[in-house]
Amino acid sequence: MGDKVSPIEALSPASRAWGEIGERSEHPHWSMVVDQERCIGCWSCAVICKSENDLPLGIWWNRILTDGEALDQPNVVRGGALEMHWLPLACQHCENAPCVKVCPVQATYHRDDGLVMQDNDRCIGCRYCMIACPYGVRNFNWGAPARPTPHETGMVAARAVGTVEKCTLCVHRLAENQVPSCVWSCPTGARVFGDLNDPAGRAATLIRQREGYELLQEAGTKPSVHYLPPRRRNEL
Amino acid sequence: MSATTIPAGGVATRSANDRRALGAWIGLLLVVMAVGAAAFVYQFDTGLIVTGMRNTMMWGQYILFFMFFVGLSAGGLIVASAGRLFGVKAFKPITRLAVLEATVAVMLAATFILPDLGRPERMLNIFLHANLTSPMIWDISIVIVYMALSAFYVWLYARADLARRGSWLAFGTGTSERTLAREERAKGAMAWVALPAAILLHSITAWIFGLQISRGFWYSSIMAPMFIASALVSGLGLVILLALVLRRLGRLQFGDDLVALLGGLLGTFIAVEAFLVLAEYLTAFYPGSPEGDAVTRMLVGPYAPLFWFEIGVGLLLPFAILVVRRLRTNPRWVAAAAGIGIVGIFVHRLDLVLNGLSYANIQLPPGLPVGTDQGGEVAFATSYWYVPTIVEWLIVVGVLAFGALVFTIAVIVLPMQESEAH
Ligand code: SF4
Ligand code: SF4
Repeated sequence: MGDKVSPIEALSPASRAWGEIGERSEHPHWSMVVDQERCIGCWSCAVICKSENDLPLGIWWNRILTDGEALDQPNVVRGGALEMHWLPLACQHCENAPCVKVCPVQATYHRDDGLVMQDNDRCIGCRYCMIACPYGVRNFNWGAPARPTPHETGMVAARAVGTVEKCTLCVHRLAENQVPSCVWSCPTGARVFGDLNDPAGRAATLIRQREGYELLQEAGTKPSVHYLPPRRRNEL
Repeated sequence: MSATTIPAGGVATRSANDRRALGAWIGLLLVVMAVGAAAFVYQFDTGLIVTGMRNTMMWGQYILFFMFFVGLSAGGLIVASAGRLFGVKAFKPITRLAVLEATVAVMLAATFILPDLGRPERMLNIFLHANLTSPMIWDISIVIVYMALSAFYVWLYARADLARRGSWLAFGTGTSERTLAREERAKGAMAWVALPAAILLHSITAWIFGLQISRGFWYSSIMAPMFIASALVSGLGLVILLALVLRRLGRLQFGDDLVALLGGLLGTFIAVEAFLVLAEYLTAFYPGSPEGDAVTRMLVGPYAPLFWFEIGVGLLLPFAILVVRRLRTNPRWVAAAAGIGIVGIFVHRLDLVLNGLSYANIQLPPGLPVGTDQGGEVAFATSYWYVPTIVEWLIVVGVLAFGALVFTIAVIVLPMQESEAH
């Protein structure tokens, strides 16, 4: 990826252990499981993503949608009860990825471990992938990147103007057997990173037990990201 | 323009005037092209941030003009080659013009792809790393094949007359009986190739949009037929207009009966287009599904005026004109109907792009990141009001001027009228 030095060696053993990827099969298919019951809509993961990946102003790989009409208003459901849930949204790393299919130059492509990657040195900036992605998670570099500070904050190389970028599941951290930064930093532990090819692993188990669902399943994209629906009843 | 207003020696004066007018016209086109080129350099240097496009509306005017010109091109060639295939002798006087129009239009379409790319200098990646599952690759391939085909077609039609004039453009071919007979066969064969190529060209362009399940508004099997129908309307409309202009300028001769015939054909095409539009939107609207929501938006949303313009002014009005026999036999009315029809198709395309793209697929707040530093403004949006910037306009008008220049030169160099000798 970039020419940055990984700060992971510099972590204390405890922090390092906190971010370790746990069980994995021999040929992992990486997945993110997002627990909507735990998510409190704090945007921490969105913010750490911005600094981890050196996202310029205006670009967000990860953002938190509020399930409802307005950003900070609870939904009124049956019987007048109030309910509020969030939908953290980033690239779903689709197995049947429309973006990979349409990219004319194969600048967006699959890795064996299920990740959908982006080659910013090859991308011609046609933005067809943004048309094709049903989730709206791709960002284009419209102009020279604007940053709030002159100091580079990210752990990866910046992307060139005129190309498309999106979530990489912190591929630079995976190489160090560390979970993506949005996972370790979530204050409620709403994100679980794991291997779908390991049926006994935590991710696969949670999806099974909690009836995890795929976002926009009707589009047939087979996302690697799964959501766990909230179970909590809000009636007192 | 009547003969009585021309003073003695008027013919000579007029041709001098003509030459001056032509010079001014070409000069104007060159200036507009230069401005467009400068705007493109500026955009290349600064990034697409100088356009009105953002993450929430990632394609805009360039793609709109791309598909509009693909339509103009396909329509012109379909009419010309179908006339040949089915032996419609009456079309003969305008066949060359239609083929030339198709060639210039597809050239412009190809040109419009360039400013839309974020990294035009990496364009060769399209050939080096082509991804065969991408409709964009299919489209670029057919555009290239079609461009070569139609250019050859133009040459084929003009060749004999060029050879008679002794022009080097005939590439040393003669006008012997045998050559001419062979050429007739070649023209027939070309029609067989050109007609499917033109249909394919526009269908594939439709599939760039219509195959995307992410855009419910586009995801429909009727996209390709609808694009063909609208291509026929706009392509034939433009051929009619250009033919009338060239007749005015004395470069082409044909009778008013041909205009009436073409007008009738145009009316039929408009009816087909209207039928497909109705079939599509009724199907989408009736169940009231989420896809129906996009259609509701189209009917009563912020872009609704575009839709109603398209129906009322773009389809009904020209149809009403062309269906009346007395108006159809009057070239002025046919020209008016053709012009309105072209505008209607353009608005139809505009509506497709705006409604298809400017609403986020997941309509939950706050929506998509707009993609630029908004200077304190909201950085997210679930819908976006796209307005092309002046840079986009300058580039588009520059490309149009380029097309007008190529067309003008071609009309001067190539004989438009089939010579009597043949
Ligand atoms: S979520 Fe969008 S960008 Fe990510 S893999 Fe799927 S289609 Fe591609
Ligand atoms: S913008 Fe880049 S990554 Fe996206 S489809 Fe075009 S070339 Fe591929």
